Amino acid sequence: MNVLEIRNLTKKFGDFIAVDNMSLNIREGEIFGFLGSNGAGKSTTINMISSLLRSTKGDIEVLGRNIATNGKFAKMNIGIVPQDISIYENMTSYENVSFFAGLYGLRGNLLKERTEEALDFVGLGDKAKSFPKNFSGGMKRRLNIACAIAHRPKLIIMDEPTVGIDPQSRNYILNSVRKLNEMGCTIIYTSHYMEEVEEICTRIAIVDHGKIIADGTKEQLKAIITDTKNIWIEIKATDSPSIDSLKQIQGVITAQLEDNTIKINSKGEINNLNRVIQQLIKDGIEIRSVEEQAPNLETVFLTLTGRNLRD
Amino acid sequence: MELWIIGNKAGLLAYMIAVSFTLNSTDHPWFTLACLLYVCLNIAIPIFKRSDPKVLLSVASAVFTFICAYLLNPAFILLLPVNLYELTWLFGGRKISFALASLLPIPFVSSGLIPLYLLTTFLSLLLFGFGWQSTEKLHRAKTEQEKMREELHKLTRSLDDNNEYIRQSEHTIKLEERSRLSQQIHDDIGHAMAGALIQMEASKRLLATDPDKAAELLHNAISISKEGLERIRLTLKDLKPRSEELGINRLRLIADELSAKHTVRVTLSHEGNIDVITPIQWKIIQGNAIEAITNSLKYGKSSSIHIEVQVLNKFVKTVVTDNGIGADKVVKGLGIIGMEERAASVGGTVIADGTKGFSVTTLLPRGV
Repeated sequence: MNVLEIRNLTKKFGDFIAVDNMSLNIREGEIFGFLGSNGAGKSTTINMISSLLRSTKGDIEVLGRNIATNGKFAKMNIGIVPQDISIYENMTSYENVSFFAGLYGLRGNLLKERTEEALDFVGLGDKAKSFPKNFSGGMKRRLNIACAIAHRPKLIIMDEPTVGIDPQSRNYILNSVRKLNEMGCTIIYTSHYMEEVEEICTRIAIVDHGKIIADGTKEQLKAIITDTKNIWIEIKATDSPSIDSLKQIQGVITAQLEDNTIKINSKGEINNLNRVIQQLIKDGIEIRSVEEQAPNLETVFLTLTGRNLRD
Repeated sequence: MELWIIGNKAGLLAYMIAVSFTLNSTDHPWFTLACLLYVCLNIAIPIFKRSDPKVLLSVASAVFTFICAYLLNPAFILLLPVNLYELTWLFGGRKISFALASLLPIPFVSSGLIPLYLLTTFLSLLLFGFGWQSTEKLHRAKTEQEKMREELHKLTRSLDDNNEYIRQSEHTIKLEERSRLSQQIHDDIGHAMAGALIQMEASKRLLATDPDKAAELLHNAISISKEGLERIRLTLKDLKPRSEELGINRLRLIADELSAKHTVRVTLSHEGNIDVITPIQWKIIQGNAIEAITNSLKYGKSSSIHIEVQVLNKFVKTVVTDNGIGADKVVKGLGIIGMEERAASVGGTVIADGTKGFSVTTLLPRGV
């Protein structure tokens, strides 16, 4: 089932086209990554999904219902972690979460229960009575997440949730994203940190100038550029390996010796590094270092758009 | 809207008649006449399409009710505000003027009727406001529908255009292939065959008189025929690579021509196995490259333009970059929309970026 369906979505600000005829389906259980440089139209799209902005053209459906006509239904089923931290610094963490959960109509014991649950989930259970003004950036982020998930939305949208925080909190947040996903939430994750997106997302869309240029799993995206990988093995200079026997290994396309480095070009989907190394050891070759070069999402982005993610 | 008004009037009239009858049952024929006249006047209003007679009738009705109120029965004044509303509506006044208009006759209302007057005025006002809003909403929805229909029409047309374009491209390419093939057959194989035939004819004549010479000529003919056969094989084998060469060569030709004609340097490079680019894709690449270069020359103030064709695993990427002024915000003109449409016809996309000079990237999926 599609949790989110976007059809021909367009947003114009005057002459400027921020989102350009975008169509997209997000299925239940996905962690969907929006990868794009600043100003690519990620946040504009998200603001339209969360009804903060009105689209110039096109339809958005959340759980099969159009948000233009079922605005409340959509809002009840979406949790948003905005790009800028939005919590009240002069209210305790507990009050913050219960305030936001209350906006979604939770009352009484249920509200209390869900608030505590959300705080525990982000690891701020013991900080319930503290004021966020004394929190670190990472803790504020986590509190912000708690505010977004207390009403148990089906779809959680996280807009750059790891900007400007320490690595530890970052790991914590990435883990909570995974855990939320395991609990059945569908997640939309935007970032211009390629590594994060590569690590947690099950499907990724590359966005540029308001258009989706390519989408798919990270393997599919990498396969856009090439389906081969390079293995460079540095060996002891005096050894002379049998290149021909390396070429016999499944998946190897070319192999050659340059100085003291064996350069192998191999099919990307076949994992044959083990067999290459076994062969070398059998021949009594001393291996100094092994390096595998496969394209990453950064190269995919660079090749497709001609620009870096952080331009 | 007019139905709302009529309904409002009917309701009020019925109420007024009821009130007059219960309060003072003076069964006056003049009163009945006045009521009927009022009905006539107001039913006549929606009959007309133009607004002049409407206004005229409405004014007449207002004056009539006022006179009736003065001469016959003060209750007639209750009918006045609706006419006033109607007038403001016909003149296209704003909502606030409704309220003001309805308060105008207050000084003429007999003191006993004021609360009743205010009540009916207020009720009519509510009805009016509501009706007005619904009408406007309806109107907006209609215009929107109209706009969307127009857009649909435009899209269908451009789809047709695109299909036509693809059809034509296919046709052109077929023609080109055919002419290339016939040219080659004529140049190479035709000549070889003719040469072989002459030699064979000669050997036939010499067969009796000079068998040695005849054998030599026959030998020549055989080798020429062999060569010709080889040529045929090559020509057929060449068929594919040549067509791609046509693509990249044509791009190069365009680049050279532009370099010669204008003060810009146009360079071209390619990477990957360009054999996999289909003729249709070449057509699109060329079209987009020419468009992008034209744009660069027109707006970019650039001194050098680079065209790059790169064959990736799943995409064919063509980038046209210039070193000109670029643009902070890319405003899509007909040119860029044209490029997008061309690319979309085979499922591709176009990215226009103006941050570093201006670059137009055309991505076409492979194997389409």
